[in-house]
Amino acid sequence: MYLYKDQVISVSVQQKLFVRLFLMLLIFCSLSTHANNNDVKYVLGDVTKIYMSSMTYIFKEQKLINQRGGNKNKLFGSEFIENIKITYKSKYSEPFPLIDHKSKKALLQSMVEVMEENRELINDEKLDFKGIIPATFAFQLSAKLSTKGVGLKIKFTRTHESIRNKLNKPDSWEVKVMKSMIKKPEVFYDNDALLNGKAAYRQFTPLPMVPHCLRCHGVPAQNPLNFGKIKKDWTDIDMTGFKMEGWTLDDFGGGVSISIEKSVIDSNRSYQ
Amino acid sequence: MHYLKYLKVIILLNLIISFQSQGEKLRVGLVEYPPHLNFDMKNKDTPIFEYVDRWLNNLNVKIEYVRLSTERGITEIQNGNVDILFPLDVEIEGVRTLQTPLFHSVPGLCFKREKFIPILSATHRFNNLLVGVPTGVRIVSALENSRALIVELKGNDAIKRGIHLTQRGRIDAFYHPYPKQVYHRENPKYQEVACSSFHGYQNAVHIAVSPKLSKQMLDSIESSYKKAMEDITYDYYFATRDKSKYTKTN
Repeated sequence: MYLYKDQVISVSVQQKLFVRLFLMLLIFCSLSTHANNNDVKYVLGDVTKIYMSSMTYIFKEQKLINQRGGNKNKLFGSEFIENIKITYKSKYSEPFPLIDHKSKKALLQSMVEVMEENRELINDEKLDFKGIIPATFAFQLSAKLSTKGVGLKIKFTRTHESIRNKLNKPDSWEVKVMKSMIKKPEVFYDNDALLNGKAAYRQFTPLPMVPHCLRCHGVPAQNPLNFGKIKKDWTDIDMTGFKMEGWTLDDFGGGVSISIEKSVIDSNRSYQ
Repeated sequence: MHYLKYLKVIILLNLIISFQSQGEKLRVGLVEYPPHLNFDMKNKDTPIFEYVDRWLNNLNVKIEYVRLSTERGITEIQNGNVDILFPLDVEIEGVRTLQTPLFHSVPGLCFKREKFIPILSATHRFNNLLVGVPTGVRIVSALENSRALIVELKGNDAIKRGIHLTQRGRIDAFYHPYPKQVYHRENPKYQEVACSSFHGYQNAVHIAVSPKLSKQMLDSIESSYKKAMEDITYDYYFATRDKSKYTKTN
């Protein structure tokens, strides 16, 4: 089969056109994937920071939670959420994120529901320590979210051997991530993970050990139950009933692990 | 002339259809489940009734509510004498439930206040703790695998007995599948105990539907319920409801 010159030129032009179109498509796809990854990181980042702000607020309000009587309205409903927003702004020096994704909406609603479930305990005028501390609140929040069917899983965890609540122990992905993180604590993002057997995005945000962690996890001298007592009467059991681990500010503080099914991220952003 | 005939037929069909839909009736069984559904109060004053009644009414059928004990409710739904039964936290053979649970209950322990253990993941604190468990109730693994001493609470009102024994110091705590049923302000005995929960061990609380319900009706119910849950979940509805409306004093 022979081709004439003008046919050869035409084929060559077609090939060039095809290559150009292919390259343009490739660039478009890579840009779109990049935008999608950024989108995911924003959602994961926002959810993580809202979650951590709620833990900070719970810590700040320990006195109110554990006091007998008084007006405790700021721990419930919309007042609680408003206070988490304020905490977020002061903690991260940035505006509270838009609630433009159903995972953020589910998280905020779950916070209100968890506090409501603790209402009787919080308002119990015959009890002092109620056991609602950042770690237990975070765990209740995680348990509540797991019932929502929104494809979002979030938990505050740490290394296997030092976990207090056995239900909160890390999975194999978290174990692997934390191993590398202890040496170099920085946010780890994985866009090729699995959650409940489904394709998911995962992120692990390490938390630094801060002085208030050591009230329970430090040494007896830092235990508020020992304040004002002579040393021989000190206890190494903290106020939650666990033995203090003797950690210092240089120890690994665990972190927030968050996973979102890809189908959830890809669904429309219809909340505002 | 022809148009007039068609119009008459259409009007007649409409009348028949609307008459038929008004004639349909749903028999709905209610099971006591404080603080969500308290038989000491009128149905309309309880949050779970208010939530479910709202979307059931969208079905445009006549609804008859009947209050039942859990055991009787289970028998009636199995036999198809009630079309819907809620809230239900047990699985019943041969009885379906709507796809999404209404909410989740969390089991726990109730203590005399002086012996209160606030965080139940601290299972080492259960060593030699005498815990009453109502006959037939399955306990969570955290308690089962601990060194707590389990005693059986027999009788029809095992929970009442549990409160009594805890108060008298004969046992240290009693197990409850959903301690909020005891530990809420509407319960006059609420002040006698303090309860904490086994978080992470939640059980689904469902709306059960009769096996005799037609597929068409089941689809309508499922669709109306799904829409209601998308608008607001029951959990969030319960958490943000106007509390003053649901107290017995009002």
